[in-house]
Amino acid sequence: MSNPENRHRHLLLLLSVFVIATCGLIYELVAGTLASYLLGDSVTQFSTIIGVYLFSMGIGSWLSKYLDGNLLKWFIRIEILVGLVGGCSAPLLFVLFEYAASFRLVLYTLVSLTGILVGLEIPLLMRILENQLTFKDLVSRVFTFDYIGALLASLIFPLVLVPYLGLIRTSLFFGLLNIAVAGFLLHQFADTKPYRRSLVSILALSSLLLLSGFVYAERIMTYTENLTFQDKVIYSKSTSYQRIVLTANPRELRLFLNGNLQFSSADEYRYHEALVHPALQALPKANRVLVLGGGDGLAVREILKYPQIQSVTLVDLDAGMTDLFRQNDLLVKLNNRSLHSSKVRIINTDAYNFVRQDTARYDLIVVDFPDPSNYSIGKLYSTAFYRELNRLMRPGGLAVVQSTSPYIARQSFWCIRNTIAASGFQTIPYHAYIPSFGEWGYVLLLRNQHWRGDGPLPAGLRFINARTIHDMLNFPPDMAEVPTEINKLNNQVLVHYFEDDWTPYAH
Amino acid sequence: MTGRPTPTDPPESPGRRQFLEQAAGLGFSVLLAGSAGLNACQSSASIAHIKGGMIGANHQTGHLLRYPEKLPQPTQTRETDVLIVGGGIAGLSARRWLWQQGKRDVLLVELSGQLGGNSVGGQNTVSAYPWGAHYLPIPDPRNRELVDFLKECHAITGFDANALPVYNDYYLCHDPEERLFINGHWQEGLVPDVGISDDDRQQISRFFKLVEELKQAKGSDGRDAFAIPLDRSSTDIIYRQLDGISFETYLNQHQFTSPYLRWFLEYGCKDDYGTTLANTSAWAGLHYFASRKGVAANAGANSVLTWPEGNSFLVKQLEQQAQSAIESNKLVFGIQENAEGVRVTCYDVLKKETVAIQARTVLLATPQFITQNLLKNRVASGFQYAPWLVANLTVSVLPQSRGMPLCWDNVIYNSASVGYVTATHQHLNASDQKVITVYWPLVQEPPDVARRKAYETTYATWLSRLVAELETAHPGVTEYISAADCWVWGHGMIAPTPGFIWEESRRNAARSVNNKLFFAHSDLSGISIFEEAFYQGIRAATEILAQIPSA
Repeated sequence: MSNPENRHRHLLLLLSVFVIATCGLIYELVAGTLASYLLGDSVTQFSTIIGVYLFSMGIGSWLSKYLDGNLLKWFIRIEILVGLVGGCSAPLLFVLFEYAASFRLVLYTLVSLTGILVGLEIPLLMRILENQLTFKDLVSRVFTFDYIGALLASLIFPLVLVPYLGLIRTSLFFGLLNIAVAGFLLHQFADTKPYRRSLVSILALSSLLLLSGFVYAERIMTYTENLTFQDKVIYSKSTSYQRIVLTANPRELRLFLNGNLQFSSADEYRYHEALVHPALQALPKANRVLVLGGGDGLAVREILKYPQIQSVTLVDLDAGMTDLFRQNDLLVKLNNRSLHSSKVRIINTDAYNFVRQDTARYDLIVVDFPDPSNYSIGKLYSTAFYRELNRLMRPGGLAVVQSTSPYIARQSFWCIRNTIAASGFQTIPYHAYIPSFGEWGYVLLLRNQHWRGDGPLPAGLRFINARTIHDMLNFPPDMAEVPTEINKLNNQVLVHYFEDDWTPYAH
Repeated sequence: MTGRPTPTDPPESPGRRQFLEQAAGLGFSVLLAGSAGLNACQSSASIAHIKGGMIGANHQTGHLLRYPEKLPQPTQTRETDVLIVGGGIAGLSARRWLWQQGKRDVLLVELSGQLGGNSVGGQNTVSAYPWGAHYLPIPDPRNRELVDFLKECHAITGFDANALPVYNDYYLCHDPEERLFINGHWQEGLVPDVGISDDDRQQISRFFKLVEELKQAKGSDGRDAFAIPLDRSSTDIIYRQLDGISFETYLNQHQFTSPYLRWFLEYGCKDDYGTTLANTSAWAGLHYFASRKGVAANAGANSVLTWPEGNSFLVKQLEQQAQSAIESNKLVFGIQENAEGVRVTCYDVLKKETVAIQARTVLLATPQFITQNLLKNRVASGFQYAPWLVANLTVSVLPQSRGMPLCWDNVIYNSASVGYVTATHQHLNASDQKVITVYWPLVQEPPDVARRKAYETTYATWLSRLVAELETAHPGVTEYISAADCWVWGHGMIAPTPGFIWEESRRNAARSVNNKLFFAHSDLSGISIFEEAFYQGIRAATEILAQIPSA
């Protein structure tokens, strides 16, 4: 019953089944993965996405009976549409996540649309092939290819596509495959001739769209670095200086600057109590404090727990940060309105220029800069910088410097300590355990003065007490002092140590 | 004019390079990725958005000298003890020395509106920047006069227990200092390293071993073979005869054939002298490497001092270290000896009137191509000057090719310019906006031809050349350039051509005339560096003081 030409024809169509089955499952996996990335709770997301997708395929299958006339033409058109809708689904979802008011509505609409279109494919193909094969052959072959395609998709998606192409490119690539199927059929079947011309131009335009998306995938990602974050992004903004991203889960808020975790609301109290209290408990008469960096107001929150403090000058480069921590309700709650205090003066300027020009003198200087990961920040950890601090400190005053992790970045930590010591200070290095960071280090700067860790502390601290302060001074052997060079503007050794220290953790 | 290479730095570990790539990549990858697809059609991107023009020394005003008869007659006569003509480093150094030795009745006149000669600087909203000389290597401590000056500038803040000078951290060039774009990669340091053969490497190390020996070498007279000021170098013929051959001949004689080494050495000649290997004296070529003997308590031997505004920082310091009078926009066009000393006619470019100045002595702190126009019967034979183009560009992004991130001195292998210096490098704050200063010696043709062409070249042509040069290492940078100004130095640097340093004409030109006319300029040393101009000023001032004991 089958002549060679027909045989050729139905083989091609079965090959198409294989490709479209792969594509179909890939779209489903992309949507599921994306939803769990962006919305969290992967069980719920995958489950609902699969449900909606399969249900939509059902709708598609049902709708297929309303398509009559030139079935091959319909099939080719639908292939182009699947390619466009499925192919663009990942980039669209990524971009819309931050801008759409109701992201879930967009997500499920897109999933349904893809499902309906994919659902149309198999019934249509079976109808195209119905006169060329017996029913039992038809069903057996179509579904065999369908399920093999699905197996292939489910294997290559986690093993090859996500790691090497990423979600956006994967989705665009399979969109292109759908369109390639359309083009292939158009080319192979002589009976498409009458409408070939019109479809070819649509086909070319669609491929161009997907291809350009493929080329610009990285740029799309920059609008949408949500993939970096485990949790839901509740705020993101690019200021002139950095990208601020705030994520939330039911347990905690997390703040990221340029993708680096700054704090988790679950344990930031440990970091900020350890930053402020060992110094301030030793300064019962302190009334003027300078905070460099720390635009989140969390160190200021700790400082304001001492009633004797009359003024806090907060210098942070980025008004985007200090504005966010003055305006966002969740964050204002977290820093206890510290940036609204009448005692606090906020100056948005470069810290180095500020300390060189400032003429005031302070009882305490809190230095809370980002880690020395590049040459610009490295200058803020140099002997020249610490000498400027010396000038700004009142007699009997102290300073404290956040000094990266003495466990992970051991050379860097001791380089900071040694640099401070070489700048004319006595130093007291100490460290605290912050679950979301690991072991974290600080250096206290003194000048010919005694320091004790058993001074009066404000009520209500959750981490620091006299015993904690005492324990923080002990460095176990795996974090113990190592000899280092001194970080100067003209050698910037700290940036090199920091890179050495972090290289094993970079991947 | 750009940074001095530091051959003794240890080679990079791959780890560091990789890390720095990642660090730099973070900032740029976004933009690179974004524009990658567009590069092909943007390589000749529009430069219409770039603001700027030709600025700089007004050679038209200078050319008034050729027709002094067209200038008006003097309307008044003034008197001064010492008149210094020329407000570059040599003139300012002489003025400072005279002041410090108690000679106060001194007037300095300068042709342009700005002091400094080729150490002038500029400023825009992003940064100050240099228009010429822009750094000073830390000096040999035996150069007492220079060390004292640097102390007064607070560039030296004290001395350590071993009497080594402690340099001001803000003035020492910050790390990272130098990188070279070679074989598609930015490497650290300027000595080619990436993708070169073992033989090249071996020749390079042989050359630097030779340099180390020459640094230590002393002549039969006990003096250093190569010293700064160069007049303090040994007179031993073994060394001085090197002046008679070209650096190229010297390299041939010593089998230094490596193209990478020779590129590097020619880069050095172009950078410091504006000359090629073939027209640089071998003595001068070696002096570039073997004369730097700086030591410091807090910096390495090859460290340099630099400022966003370049050496105009030092110009300001020289100016402030004396109080005697300075007048700008004054063109000296006539000099005549008379019974009381020297009568000088001076045209005020702004007021368009002429005054006569009666001085007891005159110091001509002018380059010899000017001096020979001012004095009758004087020919400055052998004095050749290299023309330069200097451009300052304001950029918001420098799309980064692979390798080392932005440094102070950034050189592109085998390119026509000698690279660019980041004026904002010494800034302490981080900013995306940068000013970079491109240095371009015009060595392809004989100086007089290159000079004439340079004056005739339009701004648009210069700009397209600059952009093409930068695009080779920073694909896509054009759209991020917001402003670019260009300055043509017709006589940018004295060229130490073979025979020029130790033959007679240079020393004859420095000799005073009738104890009334004295001369000071770096071209009298034969090499155009701050130290020599500074020294020439002091030498001439000392001669003047010996002639006219203070009243």
